[in-house]
Amino acid sequence: METITSILNNLGMGEQQALMFALLLPFFPLLLIFNRRIRERGKPVLRSIPGYEALREYVGQATESGRSLHVSMGTGGIGTAVTVESLAGLTILEHIAAQAAASGLKPIVTVSDPSLLPVAQDVLRNAYAACGRLDEYDPTSVRFISSNKVAYAAGVTDILDHGEVAGNIMVGNFSDEFLLMSEVAARREIGQVAGTTAPQILPFVYASVDHSLIGEEIFAAGAYLLKRTSHIASLATQDWLRTAVIITIIVGVLARSLA
Amino acid sequence: MRRMVDAVALGMKRSVPMAIAMAIGSLMLVDFFFDERHINALGSFFVESAVIVVAFALLLGLLNVLIVHARKIARREEGWLYSIFLVIIALVVLVGGIPGPESSAVTWIFDNVQFPLQAATFSLLAFYVARAAYRGFRLRSLESLAFIAAVIVVLLGQVPVGSYLSEFVPAAKEWILDVPSTAGVRGIIIGVALGTIATGVRVLMGIDRPYGGEGGSSQ
Repeated sequence: METITSILNNLGMGEQQALMFALLLPFFPLLLIFNRRIRERGKPVLRSIPGYEALREYVGQATESGRSLHVSMGTGGIGTAVTVESLAGLTILEHIAAQAAASGLKPIVTVSDPSLLPVAQDVLRNAYAACGRLDEYDPTSVRFISSNKVAYAAGVTDILDHGEVAGNIMVGNFSDEFLLMSEVAARREIGQVAGTTAPQILPFVYASVDHSLIGEEIFAAGAYLLKRTSHIASLATQDWLRTAVIITIIVGVLARSLA
Repeated sequence: MRRMVDAVALGMKRSVPMAIAMAIGSLMLVDFFFDERHINALGSFFVESAVIVVAFALLLGLLNVLIVHARKIARREEGWLYSIFLVIIALVVLVGGIPGPESSAVTWIFDNVQFPLQAATFSLLAFYVARAAYRGFRLRSLESLAFIAAVIVVLLGQVPVGSYLSEFVPAAKEWILDVPSTAGVRGIIIGVALGTIATGVRVLMGIDRPYGGEGGSSQ
């Protein structure tokens, strides 16, 4: 153990960094292995996540009713500590953008961090370009409200309260301001799907929206909505590593207890 | 010939951003894990560059706000008068901030307009929590039954009447918070950590391309 510690110290790596490194390294080969296996054997059946099924339903309802769909990717942005949550929101936007470009649905996308503005616009633009309907793309479908969380919530509240919104999709990083938005949508009986990773916000999500995506479920959007092989392989990798972590915890507890 | 040139151009549009993202992403990862002077310096440089890029994105954001509201005013959409007010205030703050972000005009606006408004909006949260709790209390499934039971025990355990009813109530509250609640939170955190790593690895391997470009996004 001392030898390992001295090697790590020589590399300038702390104990926590070493643990993270050990968790990160197997991801690369496992992801490639599962990717190849899925390509060869076909896509596995994924367990049902009601939030994603409801999301598809809300997209359909909004298209049929001619009303819009509000999409929020949270108050995080690109290049922040919560970038991956924003990326999860972007994956969901990708699905909605593809449906919008194909069916004429008008999504209203709001961002709180300006770094997400050009990225979200790009996702929408690509979807319209892929459908050959670039002339219908409206860059103001993506709206920057404010980088201040409360001001952002106030702006979204206005859209939900006065806009012709059929569904409210909120996936990303949120804090207490989440409830300001979700409660307005709930009062107006707008169908909602929301998800975040912050454990202290999850009770708000559970209590105020119709369908919640809890914790890591938000990262499964690519596999569930876009049916991408690489995302399904990623889910399989996560499952394997989760099992490894659980076994390590149990072995650690037993070893410590018996020592 | 023209088609070939277009195909090469499209290929470049896809592969150049991907190569840059993969190279800088890998470098940032090495910077995080290892303590090497040159790599650390390069890492800091990229972090500072990202801050500058985000500052430019803020200008894009302001432009977006002005365009959205100018359109609303031009089309006389519902609430267009508020849009006029918003544009005027945005310009006033912008002009007031020219001497610097600490200028007296900007400080006055923040202290006397923004902070009180923010506090007022946030104070609504108490009522919203009560409303959400009321809705959460509706018995919809076995899951919501567990939710309600836990809430009742924790609420009673927090107030003196809980211990008056029974000594068991505060102990049950402690147990709920220390065992099932902590276990659940840790489970969520472990899952989120794995999901975070998976997303990072996909971006690093060029499978996900949030930086888009034509034909971008992901595979």
